[in-house]
Amino acid sequence: MTDDTDPQTSDDASHPRTRILVPLPILEGGAVSAGLADLLEPLDVTVLGFHVLPEQTPPDQARLQYEDRATDALEDLAVEFGAEDGTADYRLVFTHDRKQTIDRVAAATTAGVYVVPGATGPVERLLVALTGDVAVDHVCAFTAELVGDRDIEVTLFLATDDEAAGRDLLEAARERLTDRGIDVQTDLAVDVAPLEALVDAAADHDAVVMGERAPSLRSLVFGEEAERIAAESVGPVFVVRRLEGDDGEERTLEGDGEGTESDAARDDDGEQSKDGG
Amino acid sequence: MAEESSESVNASSPSSPPSPPSTGPDASVSGTNLDGEAPRVEPTVETDEATITDDAELERTIGLSGGLAIGIGTMIGAGIFVFPGLAAGNAGPAASLSFAIGAVIALLVALPTSELATAMPKSGGGYYFISRGLGTLAGTVVGLSLWFGLVFATAFYLVGFGYYVVDTLVEVGVAAGEWLVIPIAVLAGVAFTILNVTGTENAAKLQNGVVALLLSIIVCFLAVGGLDAAGVFGEPSTPERFAPHGAMPILSTAALVFTSYLGFAQVATVAGEMKDPGRNLPLAMVGSVLVVGVLYVATIFVATSAFGSDQLETLGETAMVEVGRHYLGTVGALAILVGGLLATMSSANASVLSTSRAIYAVSRDALLPRDASRINLRYGTPHVALGLAGGPIVVLTATGRVELLAEVASFLHLVMYGLICVALLALRRNEPEWYDPAFRVPGYPIVPILGALSSFALVAFMQPASRWIGLAIVVLTAGWYAYYARDVSLRGVL
Repeated sequence: MTDDTDPQTSDDASHPRTRILVPLPILEGGAVSAGLADLLEPLDVTVLGFHVLPEQTPPDQARLQYEDRATDALEDLAVEFGAEDGTADYRLVFTHDRKQTIDRVAAATTAGVYVVPGATGPVERLLVALTGDVAVDHVCAFTAELVGDRDIEVTLFLATDDEAAGRDLLEAARERLTDRGIDVQTDLAVDVAPLEALVDAAADHDAVVMGERAPSLRSLVFGEEAERIAAESVGPVFVVRRLEGDDGEERTLEGDGEGTESDAARDDDGEQSKDGG
Repeated sequence: MAEESSESVNASSPSSPPSPPSTGPDASVSGTNLDGEAPRVEPTVETDEATITDDAELERTIGLSGGLAIGIGTMIGAGIFVFPGLAAGNAGPAASLSFAIGAVIALLVALPTSELATAMPKSGGGYYFISRGLGTLAGTVVGLSLWFGLVFATAFYLVGFGYYVVDTLVEVGVAAGEWLVIPIAVLAGVAFTILNVTGTENAAKLQNGVVALLLSIIVCFLAVGGLDAAGVFGEPSTPERFAPHGAMPILSTAALVFTSYLGFAQVATVAGEMKDPGRNLPLAMVGSVLVVGVLYVATIFVATSAFGSDQLETLGETAMVEVGRHYLGTVGALAILVGGLLATMSSANASVLSTSRAIYAVSRDALLPRDASRINLRYGTPHVALGLAGGPIVVLTATGRVELLAEVASFLHLVMYGLICVALLALRRNEPEWYDPAFRVPGYPIVPILGALSSFALVAFMQPASRWIGLAIVVLTAGWYAYYARDVSLRGVL
């Protein structure tokens, strides 16, 4: 395990920050755009270098041959995300199943968010999708933390069939973010295909934030939503993970100490599951 | 050289150089082979979801259903689709007893294998347990024999596949003679090798589907055939003496058809990739033996009820097609043809994969040159190992000797199975600190002792030719050990 590059960030109670997982296919020239590294500056980052193998190859066989090369590449990447300041570390996984690896490592590192890294220059406009059955509180809290006091415009996007309820939800979310001094616009799409509308809206933004949705038949057939949006929009897509048993009540944006308690709670959970092995 | 061999003598003693806590006595890996390569064994921590080494993690991605699909998918082919005619010709209706004997032996070995696999959930399967439990000589013999054993088994499955292709061609109205069987089988061998080198993206999902389809075909067939055999409908079948040729053929047939049960140990070769190995490995191994054992016994019973065993014998490798036709007409014949094609293909493909894993396991331990396990970055596949599997498979397939191929494969596997049981006894008698299996054999030590004895005993009932070839391979691999890897020490290393 490679936590040794950064022993104390997650325990640093005075400065709890969301940890974000950046999965990269490390042996396929996985590089990170400068815009993404800058955008993630206020967060703790775990770079997840992974290599997916066809099933006829045992993961250990690939490790023997490629571990050194992958580790070198990962160390360089971790520096780009601030390994020297202690805000980034890395892990290396050989796997047959990319999604399973992301889920497992996200849980083990208590990362609440992972990103599908796309290419982007400096990020000036952020699209935040609240469509569907996602944890709106978590998505807003993460957006606020990501933007911080930087000059980044946020567009809240919602596709729904229920115009009135959608407007209420967008307004409530907008208030939460404007309270934090963030410049917010809203975009309500009614009675349209949600995914296509989101892809259209993403076109004039530099990055997308969305909530993870429960696996559905649709995602089984067409692949994961975030992947498709990343592919269509080219830019990075942030996915705020669903957290089982995390009620999110404490993650409202009304107070100043947003997310603190639940972050700490998640840290504890993560540590237990890590030791369980 | 002299220095190294003295080192390897001491290596298994507990007073090895300091090793990291929490991991096994890894420092006792020692020695180098003729090329100066030492075994690559690193301290690891096994969790239910991943194997964690110093700098990297290896994801465990195969679940219980995947494990069962590997076991059943490897085993389901031969016993139902290739052997009934041959077996019934040898032993009469008592051939179902031969299959039952095979199942019992497989079960006696599957239980100890499960215990070892949960104690050492790593890639390599039987080879890994034996090299750690009994030392490098036994490990080399088993590791290399397993390679050849799988090669023989794959060649056998491919020849069976050839028969089914020819029968299918005849069924759709293309006049194809038996001379086409071997060319088709050889072509299929080449195709599987190339397919595996260039990557079969969703083969595991495909395999699960194939296994499900096969099971449903077989269960339908057995339901209809079983009702008929019991005299519920159709004309009652002529009663036949259960064992017309006496007891001896029952045992020799058990030795012949044991090839049908080789698949359960393949589950152990992916132990390093299986989620929650403490639970899933024993369930997948024992479960797949039970499932296919029951299906085999029932199938032979149904087949010998449909035709007399003499008639079944004349129908040869694809006798089941006629049995299917007997019960369900053309539909039945087609269903069995489709089943036979799928089953022999899935067995052959699974065995090619296992062969490349066996080669990887011995090459990691410096018993073969390291280059044998190199991976091709473009496809991510072990192209050298797959070639070392595919080449001999094609050559053996060209001989077309079904019974010989099957028996040599059984011989080489039975040696391994016997030694697995011995390795369990050795490890249990002197339990190392790292030995902590999640599953323990019920009825220890009787089960592993019976497993070892019956595995070795079954060898005695094979044709002399198969025994000589098998023995020659064992001697050859022992010679390779003496020449190439004498100084490598693996015993007691996790």
